[in-house]
Amino acid sequence: MNELRRAWLITLKDLRLEFRTGGRLLAMIAFVVLAGFLFAFALDQSQVAGRDVAAALIWLVILFASTAGAGRIFDAEEEEGAFRHLLLTPVSRPAIFLGKTAANLAVIWLVTALAFISLTAFLGVRDTGSPAAHAAVFLPGTIGLAATGTFFGRMSRHSSLGDTLLPVLTFPLLVPVIFFGATSTARVFLGRPWPEISGSARLLWAFAVGSVFIGAALFRHVTDE
Amino acid sequence: MTLEGQGLVCSYGPTRALDGVDIVAGDGEIVAVVGPNGAGKTTLLRALSGERRPDQGEVSLDGSPVSGADPGWRGRVGLVSHRTGLYRKLSVAENLNFFASLHAVPNPRNAVAQALETIGAATLAGTRVEALSRGQCQRVALARTLLHDPDILFLDEPFTGLDPAAAAALETALRARRTAGSVIVLVTHDLRRCLDLADRVVVLQRGHKVHDGETDSADPVDLLRYFTTTAADPS
Amino acid sequence: MSTKGRIAGLALVTAGVATILLVHWMVAFWVPNEAAQGVVQRIFYVHVPAAWTTFLAVGIVAIASAVYLWLEDERADAAAVAAAEGALIFGAIMLITGPLWGRIAWGTYWEWEPRLTLTLLLWFTYLGYFLVRSSVADPRRGKRFAAVVAVVGSLNIPLIHVSVEWFRSLHPEAVVIKPEGPTLPSDMLATLLTSLAGFTMLFLGLFTFRYAVERLRRRTPPTATGETDEALI
Repeated sequence: MNELRRAWLITLKDLRLEFRTGGRLLAMIAFVVLAGFLFAFALDQSQVAGRDVAAALIWLVILFASTAGAGRIFDAEEEEGAFRHLLLTPVSRPAIFLGKTAANLAVIWLVTALAFISLTAFLGVRDTGSPAAHAAVFLPGTIGLAATGTFFGRMSRHSSLGDTLLPVLTFPLLVPVIFFGATSTARVFLGRPWPEISGSARLLWAFAVGSVFIGAALFRHVTDE
Repeated sequence: MTLEGQGLVCSYGPTRALDGVDIVAGDGEIVAVVGPNGAGKTTLLRALSGERRPDQGEVSLDGSPVSGADPGWRGRVGLVSHRTGLYRKLSVAENLNFFASLHAVPNPRNAVAQALETIGAATLAGTRVEALSRGQCQRVALARTLLHDPDILFLDEPFTGLDPAAAAALETALRARRTAGSVIVLVTHDLRRCLDLADRVVVLQRGHKVHDGETDSADPVDLLRYFTTTAADPS
Repeated sequence: MSTKGRIAGLALVTAGVATILLVHWMVAFWVPNEAAQGVVQRIFYVHVPAAWTTFLAVGIVAIASAVYLWLEDERADAAAVAAAEGALIFGAIMLITGPLWGRIAWGTYWEWEPRLTLTLLLWFTYLGYFLVRSSVADPRRGKRFAAVVAVVGSLNIPLIHVSVEWFRSLHPEAVVIKPEGPTLPSDMLATLLTSLAGFTMLFLGLFTFRYAVERLRRRTPPTATGETDEALI
């Protein structure tokens, strides 16, 4: 059978579990909204205009939420030892990685939408710019975050440090995503023409494609004994 | 069909869980691996199933080496462990469908319905696993393992926490697989059940094989000795 | 072989330390002040060689880790871990001396200079490298995870480099004084080259020594007991 179909089955299974368990999802949603609220609160808006920093804060909130969530991606797999059985089926390791990354991506999209709405609202960004341009920036950026989170989320499962290890491992890697993502989003807010943004978007795609391919290729090293 | 492990060595850092173990399991026989806690039983099972690549030694099937990295090999292997390996928030049918599809079982829905029929749990299909009793869970886990009709079965302490009815059902299923000509390796610390069910018993102690023989000719008192004394120093 | 390795390593370390002591004498008493920057420029005789050794170490770790993932050869892992320790130490020297100089020359401790930024991120990657290694119960798995961290970190270097370059272009006030001019006066060049030689010898000595020790440690026969295996799985 087609490996992509197997990956898709894993995605569907993960999303079903995600929505039935609800815990991780609710915690991430609450985090995003509350973090947006706190950022707005912490900012002296008489000194710094909220819209000047909105793009940076949106990306940081997504980064923190997805990193915190990454440690939980494999919870349902480990609860009753199902992952051992999943690894013993003929499914390939890249297919498992792709399937779980896609499910993680769907969750991150939800988080991204909420972060966008809550931060633009709390920081008083009235003119948010072109939705299509935003989508063109967030799409590759979130793919990079999802792939990195899934990969290192698996690694942290085996570490006695657990989730505290995740930021140390992923933040240095994600510097390009945060940099290109935040500057592009800021320019979209300002209504700058697309050619001023497309260079960054291309590099976000480079990271997205690179992280998916490298993650798929190396995933067996973090799953198999 | 003969599954063979030769000179298996598995280390966890400075700790040698397996220190040069040879084991042979033929078709149509149940080989039980017993020993006190920490003897290396589970590690041996993981090495044989291909889940852990041994540091030294080789696992082969009819003379050709096998590896957990080979999807064809994984498709022939079935595993029952003391953990159910099911997703608690999915229903019984969803769990079985998921694994049947990953195993590329033709017509998974029929296979699942049939498997549930066999274990007498057709009415449980729509129930979530979290609502099942331990015995029911283990039956579903067994059904999942048999879905793709594996000819090599590994059982890792499968009787832990089972009520007598569920344990009897598992024993019946294992005897049926033996008659069908599967290779069956059973890891347990339950000596009585092992003597009752298995054809051959292998005793491990501190990573070494200290006994290997037919269960019929084995003296239970003799075997029990291995559980109470410590291993002779290998050096 | 490992005894020879340790002796060779110790010899190189001794030569390296002696050379670096000589460099310190040269820096303090022999080499003249650089005209434009004054006395603060002297820190470069430590900073530049530290940077060079850091990147030498990073290169060794990346290659050795890739080899380890590919062949699972213990020697590759021993080389990677020996070099990674060097990367961490010499990277720390670079990261401390850089801002000290920057405080005087640029007026700020931190400047988004690509090599400095890259070193900081790589330094944290190598911190992660050791954290992963030590916190995974099964050492074989820990080695593999660490190798993955090193390989992935190295593959990301080009993108980080581009980000820092672009980031700097957003800050037009960042006027970077290029530390090394195209032609150095011969006495300065001599000091720098001596220092480069000293640092390289020190690193290679430490590397050889650590590699030999690591090999020796792994050859000691393991204690033959399976007592903790269930807990490790």
